[in-house]
Amino acid sequence: MNFLTNPPRFLFFTGKGGVGKTSIACAAAVRLAAAERRVLLVSTDPASNVGQVFGVAIGNRITSITAVPGLDALEIDPQAAAQAYRDRLLGPVRGRLPDAVVKGIEEQLSGACTTEIAAFDEFTALLTDAALMVDYDHILFDTAPTGHTIRLLQLPGAWSGFLDAGKGDASCLGPLAGLEKQRAQYRAAVEALADSSRTRLVLVARAQKATLREVARTHEELAAIGLTRQYLVINGELPTGEAKDDALAAAIHARERAALGELPETLAALPCDHIALKAYNLVGLEALRHLFDEDGGGDLAAAQAVESDPHLDAPALADLINDIAADGHGLIMLMGKGGVGKTTLAAAISVALAQRGLPVHLTTSDPAAHLAETMDGTLPDLAVSRIDPQVETERYRKQIMASKGAQLDEQGRKLLEEDLRSPCTEEIAVFRAFSRVIREAGRRFVVMDTAPTGHTLLLLDATGAYHREVARQMGGKGMNFTTPMMQLQDPKQTKVIIATLAETTPILEAASLQADLRRAGIEPWAWIVNASVAVADTCSPLLRRRAATELREIEAVATHHALRHAVVPLLQAEPVGVGRLLELAGEVPLKTTTGA
Amino acid sequence: MANIQIFDPALCCSTGVCGVAIDQALVSFAADVDWAKQNGVQIERFNLARQPLAFANNETVRDFLERSGQEALPLVLVDGQLALASRYPERCDLARWAGIAQPAKLEAVAASDCCSGSRCC
Repeated sequence: MNFLTNPPRFLFFTGKGGVGKTSIACAAAVRLAAAERRVLLVSTDPASNVGQVFGVAIGNRITSITAVPGLDALEIDPQAAAQAYRDRLLGPVRGRLPDAVVKGIEEQLSGACTTEIAAFDEFTALLTDAALMVDYDHILFDTAPTGHTIRLLQLPGAWSGFLDAGKGDASCLGPLAGLEKQRAQYRAAVEALADSSRTRLVLVARAQKATLREVARTHEELAAIGLTRQYLVINGELPTGEAKDDALAAAIHARERAALGELPETLAALPCDHIALKAYNLVGLEALRHLFDEDGGGDLAAAQAVESDPHLDAPALADLINDIAADGHGLIMLMGKGGVGKTTLAAAISVALAQRGLPVHLTTSDPAAHLAETMDGTLPDLAVSRIDPQVETERYRKQIMASKGAQLDEQGRKLLEEDLRSPCTEEIAVFRAFSRVIREAGRRFVVMDTAPTGHTLLLLDATGAYHREVARQMGGKGMNFTTPMMQLQDPKQTKVIIATLAETTPILEAASLQADLRRAGIEPWAWIVNASVAVADTCSPLLRRRAATELREIEAVATHHALRHAVVPLLQAEPVGVGRLLELAGEVPLKTTTGA
Repeated sequence: MANIQIFDPALCCSTGVCGVAIDQALVSFAADVDWAKQNGVQIERFNLARQPLAFANNETVRDFLERSGQEALPLVLVDGQLALASRYPERCDLARWAGIAQPAKLEAVAASDCCSGSRCC
């Protein structure tokens, strides 16, 4: 493994949920420990199964893994960290300030923002604690600061610069301002991250076009803040041998080859490792020890033979579309983490509605502009538009500087500019663009995908705050106004659909998204489990194993999470173009069934 | 010199740009505070969402919160005495409390910004 050659002290594994970064981090830790290095493994995965993998209860304290000499582990739960922060801040004032006031503050500190920063706050100590540097040769993190957090990381730089220059207090540091850590410690943590002799970043991806594009963006964002020493790991590649006798497996294999063949340039330059899809579940030390092996681990696979026929009869997307079409108009919002296929599903639903002669406006904020490709061909009743987060943000910044900044002196303008660099700005800018579009939903269908979760939640937070503010200003009387939040909360006007994959981490992420929506008074209307092997026909042993593990996950969606759900099969051909989108929506029969 | 303390409602930032509707008063006030600091004025801001203890530890502020609720914020104390509530002070208020003059080059802006009408100055 290239990424394990001459490893520096800190290794960060990053990638979207479900790509296997925790497994790879665990396996890497085991391998380094086997080479007699002293290793600390840090998991911030809210669905951390590190303890389960090693058969030890770990939790938020450094715990020795007795089965692996030299290895200690620590689990940071971002939610618990955020709760601890709220308790620290509010504990001393409970009973001393009015209850309503305390409750109001608590709500303010319940956003995704606080959670991410609280987790980062726990991080900084690990990056800067001199005692840990003595105790451990390597510290491995199964996550890395990305997206939202990157921008926060950039802020302390601006912050300290601003303070050093004596220009006053750059204010929009959000919850960072309330955390107890020294500014010097944040700066040291950022320095450690940007120091290539100390830090290596491992980008974990699957061999999928959209995923690789997303990873390329992460790479560029992180490189821009100085994390230049990056490695790429392509996980779960379907072995060539598997593609011989099965049409679906052959199609997946060909697709993966194609995706890797057109690897984004910035990624192609990175040292790269490939890890084959394994025929066994990555549970237990023995499985981890063999994760990086070339062969498929035949003995382990044999020990876990598929017991039952993993085929599933589940509701199809067409069933959901029938219910949607019956309303004649409304707002349909696809939500979920990046890479679960929100854009494709939104496009499929739009095409299916338009095909029935219903007027549809499909709008997307997919930064990859993937939709333009997907919508290769048009229908008369379908309008497509795109909200580009970068463009919207720039426009918003300019507009605020021109209007609100106009009356300020130079110093005041600088302060406002600093605040406009805050992470909230993009969410607000995108939200404003959305709220312009969603007003149309009284007349026709408006179908939207949304950008990844952090965005979505903050958008909803912003709407919620706006709603409360308007209600407050109106003194609770005369509720004859409609905020976007109220539109989203009204099931007659809005259907929120959560998109996910039939895998543990994506489903946990979707459940946590649903919990946040519910906190905002929004009840998701349905879930769509996308790209499922369990409803596809295949005789490939590897894929059938995956199908078997999917059944449990889909069962959990059906019984625990979703009011109603649909399962969309993994297709042989990528659903690009109107014809294939209609197939995906179940409007026309799937042309290609695999031989079985 | 007078000590000016501003007790803000729960904000995520001092200019309020993080909200959906930006309040011009907040944007201007952030700039005014900055201006006052540059001119050596002793001025502190406390954000209810970040420094609730500062609110709880000050009897005047605590009583005010109990009586009027957080909707009545912001609250301004000058040398510990209640000076202004429910709205942000103008730049000229700050100058008056601190006993300093406004720089000449700002007067044109300030005239339209804060000294129109009878409410202040």
